[in-house]
Amino acid sequence: MNNISRRSMLVSLGATLGAASLGLAGCSSDGGSDDDKGADLSKNRTDAMDKFGVNEQFKASKPVAFTTLLNDNPGYPEKANWLFWTELAKRTNVTLKPTVVPLSDYENKRSVIIGGGDAPLLLPKTYPGQEAAFVSSGAILAVSDYVDLMPNFKDKLAKWNLQGDLDTVLQDDGKYYVLPGLHEDVWIDYSFAIRTDVLDELGLQIPKTLDELYSVLKAMKAAHPDSYPMTDRWSQPTPGGAMLQTFGQAFGAGYGGGWGYANAAYDSASDKFVLTGAMDQYKAMIAYAQKLVAEKLLDPESFTQTDDQANAKFTSGKSFVISTNAQELVNTYRPGLAKSVPSAKVVKIPVPTGPAGEVKVGLRLENGLMISKKARNSADFVAMMQFVDWLFYSDDGQIFAKWGVEGVTYTRDASGNFHLTNDVDYVGLNPTATKKLNVDFGFSNGNFAYGGSTQLLESTFSQEEKDFQKVMTARKTLPVPPPHPLNADEQEQFSLYEAPLKDYVQQQTLKFILGDRPLSEWDAFKGELKGKNGDQYLSLLNGAYDRFKKAKTGGDKS
Amino acid sequence: MSTTRTVDLPSEAAGAGGRTSARTRPRGRKRGNQGRRTWRQSLRRDWQLYSLAVLPLTFFAVFRYLPMAGNVIAFRRFHPGGSMFGDQWVGMRYFRLFWHDPTFWHVFTNTLVIGLLTLVFCFPMPIVLALLLNEVRSRKFKKLVQSISYLPHFLSTVIVAGVVMQFLSADGPVNQALHHFGHSPVLFIQQPGWFRSIYVSSELWQTVGWGTILYLAALTSIDDNLYEAARIDGANRWKQTWHVTLPGIRPTMVTLLILNIGTFMAVGFEKILLLYNPLTYPTADVVSTYLYRMGVVSNNFSYAAAIGLFESLIGLVLIVSANRISRRTVGTSLW
Amino acid sequence: MVTLDTTAIEDKPTQPAGIRTTRGYRIFQVVNALILTAVIVVTLYPMINILARSFSGDGYIRSGKVNLLPRGFNITTYKAVMTNSMFWVNYRNTVVYTVVATVVAMLLTTVYAYVLSKKDLRGRGVLVGVAVFTMFFSGGLIPNYVLVTSLGLKNSVWAIALPNAISVFNLLVMKAFFEGLPVELEEQAAIDGLNTYGTLWRVVLPLSKAVLATMVLFYAVSFWNSWFAAFLYMDHSDLMPVTVYLRNLIYGSTNATSVGFSEADATAVGANIQAVTIVLTTLPILVVYPFVQRYFVSGVTLGAVKG
Repeated sequence: MNNISRRSMLVSLGATLGAASLGLAGCSSDGGSDDDKGADLSKNRTDAMDKFGVNEQFKASKPVAFTTLLNDNPGYPEKANWLFWTELAKRTNVTLKPTVVPLSDYENKRSVIIGGGDAPLLLPKTYPGQEAAFVSSGAILAVSDYVDLMPNFKDKLAKWNLQGDLDTVLQDDGKYYVLPGLHEDVWIDYSFAIRTDVLDELGLQIPKTLDELYSVLKAMKAAHPDSYPMTDRWSQPTPGGAMLQTFGQAFGAGYGGGWGYANAAYDSASDKFVLTGAMDQYKAMIAYAQKLVAEKLLDPESFTQTDDQANAKFTSGKSFVISTNAQELVNTYRPGLAKSVPSAKVVKIPVPTGPAGEVKVGLRLENGLMISKKARNSADFVAMMQFVDWLFYSDDGQIFAKWGVEGVTYTRDASGNFHLTNDVDYVGLNPTATKKLNVDFGFSNGNFAYGGSTQLLESTFSQEEKDFQKVMTARKTLPVPPPHPLNADEQEQFSLYEAPLKDYVQQQTLKFILGDRPLSEWDAFKGELKGKNGDQYLSLLNGAYDRFKKAKTGGDKS
Repeated sequence: MSTTRTVDLPSEAAGAGGRTSARTRPRGRKRGNQGRRTWRQSLRRDWQLYSLAVLPLTFFAVFRYLPMAGNVIAFRRFHPGGSMFGDQWVGMRYFRLFWHDPTFWHVFTNTLVIGLLTLVFCFPMPIVLALLLNEVRSRKFKKLVQSISYLPHFLSTVIVAGVVMQFLSADGPVNQALHHFGHSPVLFIQQPGWFRSIYVSSELWQTVGWGTILYLAALTSIDDNLYEAARIDGANRWKQTWHVTLPGIRPTMVTLLILNIGTFMAVGFEKILLLYNPLTYPTADVVSTYLYRMGVVSNNFSYAAAIGLFESLIGLVLIVSANRISRRTVGTSLW
Repeated sequence: MVTLDTTAIEDKPTQPAGIRTTRGYRIFQVVNALILTAVIVVTLYPMINILARSFSGDGYIRSGKVNLLPRGFNITTYKAVMTNSMFWVNYRNTVVYTVVATVVAMLLTTVYAYVLSKKDLRGRGVLVGVAVFTMFFSGGLIPNYVLVTSLGLKNSVWAIALPNAISVFNLLVMKAFFEGLPVELEEQAAIDGLNTYGTLWRVVLPLSKAVLATMVLFYAVSFWNSWFAAFLYMDHSDLMPVTVYLRNLIYGSTNATSVGFSEADATAVGANIQAVTIVLTTLPILVVYPFVQRYFVSGVTLGAVKG
């Protein structure tokens, strides 16, 4: 259960890249009439502000209520008396009426509730790509038609140069249906945790590259011949989820293996999509991982064990390197090691680089919200869009959603840094406080607070994590692959190719890595991909990409 | 569905083998020749019985048959958020899509094999356990075993899968035992050859105790006098089991067997999802997990509905055949 | 209560006199006891492990050091779960939903099973077919959702009780039981002037305690453990059963740290939340079970009546 709905920005990207761009030929007529309606908003301006600009405070002219779905996190279950609700109503005159859905099965209910025609107006916590399934029914608003009502959204798009990222959520009709959260920079959280006390003992430095990582593991193995120096987690349901993603990206194989794996990667040299699994860079990634396994540096169970098993090996001191993110380092590894190996020291190292150099790959889109089509007919439609723009995209709105009310939950010093007030805690920043920012006040709630500037994002990070981010920020961000929206028929065909191809690549990747299949059979493997409809798969994508390019040049001319 | 030939044996005493024929006599209330009665006569005579059926029938009509109309989307293109009954006819399109998909047939075969293995092992074991329990003298010990053996039924799949992984890991108890005998560790979880055994054993562990409940209920109602008679005939304990106990629970066994046959395609989706990995797909991947990975479940309701109908049809054919065979051979049937 | 005097006769059918002395049977008894002890051990080991985990410290659990005894004894997770007022609200909901749904289900299942058990009833085949067909063909999620919504059942106990009122599996088991009841009893009831309702209530049901108890157990356990219907049809957290609450809690603790969750989603629940959950949800059933179990043996009286 814990793995079923696991997803990442990159997986969502994979979905956008591949599976989920469900468009529909039949809705072009709808689209046409939408454009007409889009122009005429005169009947929908009740309670709206006449003039609403960047960083202006939105306030409806009289109190209004909007319904919303709410993803209920057990860490901070919804409370009707949250300061978030009351302060929001005070500032904007808007009361949000939530339908509370447990986080565990949120997507399930969202799907049914939309399918049953019973959806609230706002549908937050929608990851880019997830909206695609609902596009063709016309139940979801083509928000791209109404971004003129959203000055802050447009401002951030332009300021952070996000058009390329946003293009990845375009559908076949050239519109997009989700308002994603926007990040100023690609945010890298996953890397490796390494035992620095073991490094010190052996007189080693923190590895900066994959080659150095290999040497370090080798030295650890020499000193502890009975152990696997590295073990790994995040293997269910995607084997090597974090590790192969990191390795693959370092070798330049698109978004990498593991979580990042998408069947197709964009090859800028030929301006075409190619099969990721057949790339030389992907082969290099496999060869590297295979070397680690063959020399017993990497635990072969890494690709199939549960997180608990992997954590146990690391925290009991059997292994010295494991995948991590900021939270697991602090919440799991350090407390676990403190009990069994009190002298242990662990850090999260900057992502080791490979042949691809000092780069980072990723999408700057975060989960965001869909809007029910029926909202369009509401008299308050304009007011609602302005409200959404203020809360989710204005600087003030984002600070409010994340930090709360100045003087009550936080203060800012002269240089603009945020500090929690004395009695308020959040992610352990103020451990002695009795109240929690999210639990007791409703701020920093995943439904409303995400994305934003790097400064805002890092405002809750520990110094250690800020240092990590500093290294990562300095790396160059690779451009995102171009959009290639599929129409409905293509989409159906595509979904039949997608899973078997992906399964096969993943399966053979593991066989190569674990030594069940020699790498000398690489060419045979590439041939087998054709048997899994690899060529048809690519021609679908490249066809859609060509069509998109044509439409775009046509559109630019007009 | 003719009713005149059915001999539904109850989960109760007198079903003992030699007396089966006695039970085929027409029911009481002196209504011989009932098959020929007209509806009007039947209604007048049995209106009280029919009146009892009204509420249940209403339930079936409203909560089972009404929503079934939604299955029409197997033949119509459905868009989430659009009409519940789909937006346009596409005929057999969705059936053709899976029919011509080689991977579908592969996972379909896996489903059959896993379902069959589950049936073969998980159906008889509760009977064996119930019979063993039945021989226990100490009432306290019997209750203890019973109560404890039910426990796994309450565990969620996540836990069971976690326990299985723990047991079979390279340094888990099983491999430690192997090591003890000088065997090198086996990575069970990564080997396709092991998956089915692992799945079926864990299923067995989880269900065997709970499965005894119905049999134990049936066992308690076997008539004492039958044992007495068998003993007088000089039957030993084993023969008594064979000639009295087993026939006594046969109706329950057959009822459950038929039901299990009808539903054997419904293998444990969540457990497989938690236990398999790409290396074991060749034996582990079943229809539901394949659909899940295809994203069909959430994105393409029409496709899922088509496959669902196909599976339902198989289930229905299986249960009707099983019922018919059972009626012909052992004289017991569901209807 | 029929069960009051069962202690004496309970063992009778399984322990016929005169057999115990056989040497082969004595050996069998020993082997049997060994086998069943093995069953206990195999079953109990993971359960005790779970119990031990539920009382252990995070560090010990995460490093896989808890076996049969708690390590680093701690009850913070129990406290965290049990001091939450929502937990108790949801627990109460579970009890209410289970009781109401079980009563409704027993009512409908019993009367229908009784009707179906009358072999000479005209149209019986059709009535059975109506039920069996639904074992295999069902509506999808969305039609069911629309139905429940349009009947106005959402956010009420009826959304849980009504759509699941008859399990065909249980129905068929019960029907088979009724068919086995001695015909003479009902004939006698008819002579005594009881109508169909009276016969069912006064004669059939009292004789069917074993199967009724089994069915109550089956229904109650399935309703107790169910979460999906409530999750789908309830829109507010104070209407959810405890299963939804705990499922969410487990999911939050295992997934908050995984990919894709914004940093805002961080939750800190103990590593033993799964174990605590199992203990808290299973315990009531274990407590209630012995009381239900007493009825299983009451089937014995049936034999007595017939004898």
